[in-house]
Amino acid sequence: MGEEKPKSDGSKAMSRPHLVAEKDYSALKELFSHHIESFDYMVDNGLETMLLNIKPIEIVDSFSSLKLRIWFGKPELFPPQKERASKAMHDALYPFECRQAKISYSGKFLVDICFQYGDGAVIREKFNFGQFPIMLKSKLCHLRGADDSKKLIAYKEEPSEMGGYFILKGLERVIRLIILPKRNYPTSMARNSFRDRREGYSDKAVVIRCVREDQSAVSLKLYYLNNGSARLGFWIQGREYLLPVGIILKALVDTTDHEIYVNLTCCYNEECDRVKGSVGTQLVGERAKIILDEVQALSLFTRAQCLRHIGEHFQPVVIGMQNDSYKTVADAVLRDYVFVHLDNNHDKFNLLIFMLQKLFSLIDQTSVLDNPDSLQNQEVLLPGHLITIYLKEKLQDWLLKLQRSLQEETDGEKKKFELSSLTDVKKAIEKNAPKQIGLVIESMLKTGRLATQSGLDLQQRAGMTVQAEKLNFLRFLSHFRAVHRGASFAGLRTTSVRKLLPESWGFLCPVHTPDGEPCGLLNHMTASCRITSYYDSKGNVKDFFKMRMSILNVLIAIGMTPSSPKLVQAGPPELLSVLLDGRIAGYIPSDLIEKAVTHLRRLKLSSTSSIPVDLEVGYIPLSMNGAYPGLYLFTSPSRFVRPVRNISAPAEEGNDLELIGPFEQVYMEISCPDGGDGGRKTLFPATHREIHPTNILSVVGNLTPWSDHNQSPRNMYQCQMGKQTMGFSSQALNCRADQKLYHLQTPQTPIVRTKAYEKYCVDDYPLGTNAIVAVLAYSGYDMEDAMVLNKSSVDRGMCHGHIYQTETIDLTEQSAKSDRAQRLFRRSNLDKSSHQLIDSDGLPYVGQRINPNEPYCSIYNEITSQTTSMKLKGSEPVVVDYVAVDVKNKAHLQKANIRFRRSRNPVIGDKFSSRHGQKGVCSQLWPDVDMPFSAVTGMRPDLIINPHAFPSRMTIAMLLESIAAKGGALHGKFVDATPFSNTMKESESESSSLVDDLGSMLAVCGFNHHGTEVLYSGVYGTELTCRIFIGPVYYQRLRHMVSDKFQVRSTGQVDHITRQPIKGRKRGGGVRFGEMERDSLLAHGAAYLLHDRLHTSSDHHIADVCSECGSVLTSSVIQPPKRAVQAILKQLPAREPKKVTCVACRSSKGMETVAMPYVFKYLAAELAAMNIKMTLKLSNEAGA
Amino acid sequence: MEGASYQRFPKIKIREVKDDFMKFELRDTDASIANALRRIMIAEVPTIAIDLVEIEVNSSVLNDEFISHRLGLVPLTSERAMSMRFSRDCDACDGDGQCEYCSVEFYLRVKCLSDQTLDVTSKDLLSSDHTVVPVDYSDASSSFDNTPNKGIIIVKLRRGQELRLRAIARKGIGKDHAKWSPAATVTFMYEPEIYINEDMMESLSLEEKTELVESSPTKVFGIDPENKQVIVVDPEAYTYDDEVLKKAEAMGKPGVVEIHAREDSFIFTVETTGAVKASQLVLNAIEVLKQKLDAVRLSDDTVEADDQFGELGAHMRGG
Repeated sequence: MGEEKPKSDGSKAMSRPHLVAEKDYSALKELFSHHIESFDYMVDNGLETMLLNIKPIEIVDSFSSLKLRIWFGKPELFPPQKERASKAMHDALYPFECRQAKISYSGKFLVDICFQYGDGAVIREKFNFGQFPIMLKSKLCHLRGADDSKKLIAYKEEPSEMGGYFILKGLERVIRLIILPKRNYPTSMARNSFRDRREGYSDKAVVIRCVREDQSAVSLKLYYLNNGSARLGFWIQGREYLLPVGIILKALVDTTDHEIYVNLTCCYNEECDRVKGSVGTQLVGERAKIILDEVQALSLFTRAQCLRHIGEHFQPVVIGMQNDSYKTVADAVLRDYVFVHLDNNHDKFNLLIFMLQKLFSLIDQTSVLDNPDSLQNQEVLLPGHLITIYLKEKLQDWLLKLQRSLQEETDGEKKKFELSSLTDVKKAIEKNAPKQIGLVIESMLKTGRLATQSGLDLQQRAGMTVQAEKLNFLRFLSHFRAVHRGASFAGLRTTSVRKLLPESWGFLCPVHTPDGEPCGLLNHMTASCRITSYYDSKGNVKDFFKMRMSILNVLIAIGMTPSSPKLVQAGPPELLSVLLDGRIAGYIPSDLIEKAVTHLRRLKLSSTSSIPVDLEVGYIPLSMNGAYPGLYLFTSPSRFVRPVRNISAPAEEGNDLELIGPFEQVYMEISCPDGGDGGRKTLFPATHREIHPTNILSVVGNLTPWSDHNQSPRNMYQCQMGKQTMGFSSQALNCRADQKLYHLQTPQTPIVRTKAYEKYCVDDYPLGTNAIVAVLAYSGYDMEDAMVLNKSSVDRGMCHGHIYQTETIDLTEQSAKSDRAQRLFRRSNLDKSSHQLIDSDGLPYVGQRINPNEPYCSIYNEITSQTTSMKLKGSEPVVVDYVAVDVKNKAHLQKANIRFRRSRNPVIGDKFSSRHGQKGVCSQLWPDVDMPFSAVTGMRPDLIINPHAFPSRMTIAMLLESIAAKGGALHGKFVDATPFSNTMKESESESSSLVDDLGSMLAVCGFNHHGTEVLYSGVYGTELTCRIFIGPVYYQRLRHMVSDKFQVRSTGQVDHITRQPIKGRKRGGGVRFGEMERDSLLAHGAAYLLHDRLHTSSDHHIADVCSECGSVLTSSVIQPPKRAVQAILKQLPAREPKKVTCVACRSSKGMETVAMPYVFKYLAAELAAMNIKMTLKLSNEAGA
Repeated sequence: MEGASYQRFPKIKIREVKDDFMKFELRDTDASIANALRRIMIAEVPTIAIDLVEIEVNSSVLNDEFISHRLGLVPLTSERAMSMRFSRDCDACDGDGQCEYCSVEFYLRVKCLSDQTLDVTSKDLLSSDHTVVPVDYSDASSSFDNTPNKGIIIVKLRRGQELRLRAIARKGIGKDHAKWSPAATVTFMYEPEIYINEDMMESLSLEEKTELVESSPTKVFGIDPENKQVIVVDPEAYTYDDEVLKKAEAMGKPGVVEIHAREDSFIFTVETTGAVKASQLVLNAIEVLKQKLDAVRLSDDTVEADDQFGELGAHMRGG
């Protein structure tokens, strides 16, 4: 359904007021925008920037001294197109086709390669770099243009398709957002591992993750040495190089020792020693001397000497610079590894000085450590950026490989290759397999593994992508909102990384994190949280240069001293450094800074200024031994931002929504409607205000009604369970070929719902049923979280569901493995028995019911002329829902999707849950007549739960929901259950409590104020002694169903080594009777049962043991002599006793039979193999 | 059957009868009989419902099982049901349940040819027996709804979609599947007896009286506009919620109102799905109850009784 749009005629809208004619999916789309925008930027500019950043290669012909320079030019990415025999025809390839045909949604990737002989003209040639995966709904996706949901339906997509993922071999995969250290911000850190770097290192360092324009990053660490000096460490090719900081300082700019000294010590002022905000101490001067002495000790005095020194050391390390002069190598090292986000050496020098000051202040304990686990110092890795940096490395490697092979060819003896001939070079390039590049990207997305040498400055190499399961809408959506802390933290024993820190308030949902292993590591962004991108609100690419210039101008106008003509000779507390995207922009007097900050914030709001709306104004105020003070401005992408109301500035043009980041939030005064004045009194008046208290919750967390009335763990459980609910997973069900899809047949919209429910159009994918729930102990089948379902309700369709399962059969794939046998779908003409199930094309009839072990398709092998049929596995019948064939190869079908449908109607053992973390298992389908009934309305409950579910769990919201839904149902209205909404009310209404509001709705209709009713026993017809709490509660059916889980076995396959029953439900194995089970039987003294489980029903064996030598292994059966042949001819000779003999004793005198577990014999054999003999002593007496 | 006879002669007084609704009093009996009647009306009065669907073509958006399930829930006029055979007991068709004595055949052949969505409704079901047809809900008496009644929607079809099927309806009871239940709601209440202690009531002020009257969520009591006396307006509106009693106690006047449930008289409310008329449903229920009692009585002195009723059989023989 969903295909028919509700007509906008009045009658329909009247009868179903919650159905809006045209749905607004914009809020939903915004949740996915960070994925799409990052990919869009990659397509628009990112790839080109990245390609230009790849170093050109040079090949020199030693004979002719001809020089060829090769570098990358412009990239070109095409929308996905179908492969066609004729080149002229190009048909668009649509996502639904990829899903069904199990192919990848990827477009052609062409790159200009530029050639230049000597100083000649530049020649550009396009090369095909394979198929590049395209993100859905990105600029290159065919769905991008389809803004209207009708168009999307025409493309066989969901009307609300949001995109943001890739389709690879038919599977939908989404790139995981991973937390990274905030770019271009020096963080102070203490790690014990720093001590192990080398002798004399302390555990303190200032670390900065510098990010280039093309998103590739280089982390720098400035270590503190116990002797007072510092070392700058960076990684090249998997090795860390540590350089004395003095050398770098000198190598960066032409400077004198005095200048360095003054620069370093400017933060110390004798007058301000130990006052609020001072960071420097006397020791700084001494340390500066040590640093300078170190350089002198190496007899390096000038910049040229320092550069030479660096060049000398790095020449063998840096690839492709072996023949260059030391100076060029040193320049390259400083350019490519030291503060790569800055182009100017003066800026680098200033930043290094700043970092040294921060490091020294940390050592002198005038500032505290930054917490790397806090969101304040973090940002996120976006899909487009990950692909860009991965592609950069791959292309770099490819180019270097090309250089090597070209050089080999030119130097080679064979005269076939001419460097001067471009065709030869092109041939060599084609030989270098450029098309592999696309495949490499595809396989990275498919497996989530980065095959990289350098590590790309990332902490992990696997788990970069996850499958976007369409189990239900909430789960699908959560994949795009999830933020992972990084796989490397998962194994950590400490729990500090998992802690919920106050810094993440409003950005990460405190409720929506899984229980157990990934708890606290896998977080979800709040519904209002966004991630900054390269696009401004109008969709234009941001001009960072212009933005930074205007910010600088604003600051200078206020009174900042710019950094470029270096004049400053002071530090905090008089002057504060201003860092703009990791560059020291200048110094601002501390008495002007508050003004500057408010001014900047005001400009952020105004649409006319060129200050970006998402500028992060991180002002760390002066404090006594607090965080290192300064004004840190960020315009960079991939930061977290969220909107709050600015109440300090008079709103211009009515816009008071300011985007703030986690860095600045810590130092802001934001009042929350739910929190009163937040304890800030009059001293620090609130400058900002939360839009709504629910802004701290994720989308899924926002859907729990009245979650503010629940005990918090219950809300966490609901966030979990909401994602495992069997719901209406897809509206385009008939165009999908997912391996497994859960589908609820009769879903309903909840009567009690939050504002977020409508905002995010969850009604398009409803997840449950409004069930009439009675809370009472009835029949005893509702103990321990079990629940009794009304059989008639189930008969009428409550919670009916299906599992759709698609089987893809690709004959080309299978035949590739074996010989080139031509195989096709065809049914056997000889075997008429299968004709009932299989059509003449070898595929099943649509709508056909297939039982286990019956064939569902048959395949004919043309070479062996044999027909094989695929048989249905499992233990339940299925119905063929749909058969799709690939018609690309018209001659014979090679590929088919067969979709099966398994019905999953509620049975005993299925799991259900309300929206309040109250899960339960159906224990009984009770007949309708036996259910308690109301005398007034005749109502019988759909399900019964036990009152014991409430006292310890304290899910008050579930009780509220029941009352509210009852009132809502009686009045024919939906009830708004947005949490914290009472705090947002302008004026206090007459009735103070929510329960009174809800109760009066009931009382008006003649029901009890508290939602209780008099019920009568369905069995006896007599009144139940208590008033029963009864009302509708939205119930979800969870995907855990007994039919998929039950395991029984009487006899069956055994393990051939131990002769014990095999394990595994699929193979018909047994359930393990383990140690703990054994212990409990021992404790009970249930010897017979124990013997039965562990011996008789397991590997009972009667072994022949030789009592002479005591061995279990030496017995051997004596073959009865020739007479045996005659004995067989004669029918059934009297069964002779089996003659066994001991091979070791050469006699059968002492042979006895002993019952034992077969594993015991096996153990004896294993021991024997280790040269250990095991003997048994046989005796008849008991206890011998 | 020695000893005192507890035999009573229950009486029924009908208050209101409509096609699908009935309200009556049942007097001079106890809860067991009343509840038995209720249970039988819900679960054991036979009706006819579609039980087997053979789908020829289904290109609609709903899957075969779902459509079959929906068809099964369509109420069919089941006046014939009492005289029909259960398919499992039918000897005319060897139990395949497709003969005229135990089944009714339906056909549904719809294809959407226009651009407008086509609603396939229960009206499209063609019956082989004119007495067994989908229930017609177009109620002539209710005039507020002027829209032409189109029956129960089974599925909606788009252009080009088609649904073609054959369905077999059979007799069954609600115990087996809710689709055979003729009752939408059957409920009974104990008739309340309300005494107002006039003397105590006199001691209350008018305000207190109003408070007391309004404490009941349903309109049970009222105040006589003339002499300002608390009177019982509608005793049957009382839901045994004890709100008034609690209020009286809170006011310090326990016993100002006394309410008792009469153990031997019941007020029944019956609503049917339309498969049988409400009055017929009650009669059928009594018939079924009689049959069940007969079954017990007849097996009283047979040998099988022991197997059938176990200890109960021995008990009935006077053991």
